[in-house]
Amino acid sequence: MLIVLTLLVFLSVLPPTREIFSQEQPPAESKYQIDLSELQKEVDKVAAKPYNLGGFLEFQPTLFGIDRDSAVSRARFFRNPQDSLFDQYNFRLRLNGSFKKDWFSAFFKTDTLVRNDFDGWDEDTKLFEAYVSAKPSDNFIFEAGKKAMKWGKGYAWNPVSFIAPPKNPEDPEEALEGTTVATADYVQSFDGPLKTLTLTTALIPVYEYVNAKFGEPRRVNFASKLYLLLYDTDIDLMVLTGSSRTTRYGFDFSKNLTTNLEIHGEFAVVNNLDKMAINASGQGFRTQSDALSQLIGLRYLSERETTYILEYYHNGAGYSRSQIKDFISFVDRSYQTFQTTGDDSGLVRASALLDGPYGQPNVGRHYLYFRASQKEAFDILYFTPAVTSIMNLTDGSLTVIPELAYSPMTNLELRFRTPVLLGKDGTEYGEKQNDYRIELRLRYHFGF
Amino acid sequence: MFKGSAMRLLLVFFFVFCMPSMTHAIDGTAILKKVDANLQPESFESYRKLVNIEPSGAKREFLLYTLKKGNDKIVSLFLSPASEKGRATLRLGDNMWLYIPNVGKPVRITSLQSVVGGVFNNADIMRLDYNVEYNVQNVEDGKTEYVLDLRAKTTSVAYDKLKMWVDKKAVIPTKIECYAATGLLIKTLYFKEIKSFEAVQRPSVIETDSPLYKGYQSLMAYANVKKRVVADEVFTLEFLSKVETVR
Repeated sequence: MLIVLTLLVFLSVLPPTREIFSQEQPPAESKYQIDLSELQKEVDKVAAKPYNLGGFLEFQPTLFGIDRDSAVSRARFFRNPQDSLFDQYNFRLRLNGSFKKDWFSAFFKTDTLVRNDFDGWDEDTKLFEAYVSAKPSDNFIFEAGKKAMKWGKGYAWNPVSFIAPPKNPEDPEEALEGTTVATADYVQSFDGPLKTLTLTTALIPVYEYVNAKFGEPRRVNFASKLYLLLYDTDIDLMVLTGSSRTTRYGFDFSKNLTTNLEIHGEFAVVNNLDKMAINASGQGFRTQSDALSQLIGLRYLSERETTYILEYYHNGAGYSRSQIKDFISFVDRSYQTFQTTGDDSGLVRASALLDGPYGQPNVGRHYLYFRASQKEAFDILYFTPAVTSIMNLTDGSLTVIPELAYSPMTNLELRFRTPVLLGKDGTEYGEKQNDYRIELRLRYHFGF
Repeated sequence: MFKGSAMRLLLVFFFVFCMPSMTHAIDGTAILKKVDANLQPESFESYRKLVNIEPSGAKREFLLYTLKKGNDKIVSLFLSPASEKGRATLRLGDNMWLYIPNVGKPVRITSLQSVVGGVFNNADIMRLDYNVEYNVQNVEDGKTEYVLDLRAKTTSVAYDKLKMWVDKKAVIPTKIECYAATGLLIKTLYFKEIKSFEAVQRPSVIETDSPLYKGYQSLMAYANVKKRVVADEVFTLEFLSKVETVR
C-alpha cells in the first residue's frame, strides 16, 4: 500500500503534460532578473566559511517479487518461507562534513541505515570516511584515516580497484565504505604531451579492528598508483602487495575519441588467487592460480542527448558455468534433504557461502553491461528516464532495469526502478532471490 | 621612358587606392583577443550563479566557484544547492572530467554534456578564451558593432561556428549565436549589465536561450572576478576533490 502511495507521490510531482509539451516562449514580462547585490551578499557569506556540513535523508520502500523456487531464496528463507511478495522499508541518513585551515583540512562521512521488513527493525551505522589531509606544498598531499580509494575507469565494474570493496553494478554511483590508510601523493604538471603525473602511495594496515575484512590480519600492505595524462589519455598503473592479499597489478586508460565518444579499459592480474568452490555434493576444494580480468567500455552521447554506456567485463576470479551449476545443485539437494529429514546443515552452509564468495555482485566470468539514459526527456528539466541491463554472457541470463529519475524541486531527488531478472533454471539471474523488484527512492539533500 | 612612366603610374595607383584600405583593414583576430582580455584575465578566480528558468517560471539556482589559469586550464566547484555541493569539473585543453563526491572518483565527460541541466552545457561553463578555440573568418564593420564570424579550430570544440556581435567602444560582445556544423542554431548568448570587478570591467550577466529548449532560459551572473594565479597542480584529477581547500 505504501509503495502505491509513494508511487502516486512521484507521479503527482511530475509536471502536467501541457507543460511537458509546451513549446511556447515565456512572455517577455516574465523574464527573470537577477539581483546582483543579493548575489554579492551570498558570495561574501560563502567565501568566508571554513567548514561544510551536509548530507541527505532517504526513504526507499521496495517491493520484492520472490522466486520461491530459486536457489538463493531456498538458502535464504528455508527457515522462514516467504510469500511471493514482501515489502521492505529503508530509511537512510548520510552526513558529511569538512573543515579547512591553511594547508590542513579534515573530512568525514557517516551512513546510518534503518530497515524494516519481515525480520523486523534493524539499524546499522557506519563511518564511511574520516581522514585528515595536509598539503605542505603544491606538489605533495599527505592523508591519513578512513577514505574511499576508488580506482579504475569502468562504470559498472573496476577489476583494478584493489583497495575499495567491489561496487554494486546495479547502482555503481553509490558511495562505498572507505579503507583505513595513510597515503602520500606527488603531483606534477608539465607542458607538452605529458600534462600530469601523479604518484600515489598507500599503506594499508590490517588488524582485528582495522580493515578486518581486507585479508590476513596483523599485516601492513602497500599499494601504489602512477597516473599519467599523456597525449590526452588518462593512464593508470597500479600495484598492491603485502601479506594480507596476494600481489596484484593493474592498468587502466580512458580517452575521448571525439567530443561525444569516450573509450575506457582496465586490465588486472591477481597472482596466486586463492579460490574456494564446492561441487554438487558440497565438497569444498581450493585452487590457487593467477587471475586475469579485463574490461573495455564505451560512453557515447548522441545529438538528442541520450547517453549510452556499453561495457564488456571478463572476471578472471569468477566461477565457471559448471561451478555455478554445482552450487545451485548443492542448494537444491540440501533443500530436498531439509524437507525430508529436517537436516538444515547444507542450507546453513549455502547461506554462509552466499554471504561470502558466492554472494559477490557478479560471480560469473563474462558480462555485458548496457545503459541508455535520456537527459530531459519530453522537455522536462531534471527528468532522466533510463534503462540498464546486465547480462551473464555464459548462461544468457540477465537483469533489465527500467528507471525514472526526477528532481521536482531543489535538493529533492526521486528515482523509481523496476529491476526484472530473466533466466532459465540453473542460470545466475534465474536462480537469484527475486523475479523482480519495485523500488522508489526519495532523497532530500541538506546543507549548512 | 615609357616603362618608367608606367611604373610611376602604378605606384601612384597603389598609394591612392590600396594604402587607405590597408590602413583601415580590420584585424579580426586582434579584436577577438581584445574581447577575451576584456571578458576575463588570463588567470583569475570568480564566483558565478547559474539560474535555470522553466516555462512555468520555476527556477533553480547553482553557485559555482571557478579558477582559470592560462589558455587551457579551468576548474569549477559547485557550492550550492546541497544536492550538487562538492561536484567539481576540470578542463585541461580538450579534456574534461567530472567529480561527484558520492561516486568518489573523477569521470571523463564530454564538452557537449550538461552538468546542471538547462541550456548551458559544460563548454559554456568551462569556457576557454575564444581566440584559443576559434579563428576569425570574417569581420563586418557596422556603425556601433563589429560582427565576427568565428570557426572552430578543431572538431573537438563544442560549437562549430559562432557569430559574435562586439560593441566597438567597449570591445566586449553583446550577443553570440552558437551553431553546429550542420548550420543548426544551438543557442544564443546575450551579454548584459557591464560591471567593474577588481580585475576587469565586463558584462556581469550572460543570458541564453535555445530553439532546442523552447520556453526555457538560463543565465549566468558573475561576482568577485579577481586576478589569481595558483599552481598548475591545482588543475589535476588528484586535486578535484580538494578544490574547496584553495577557495
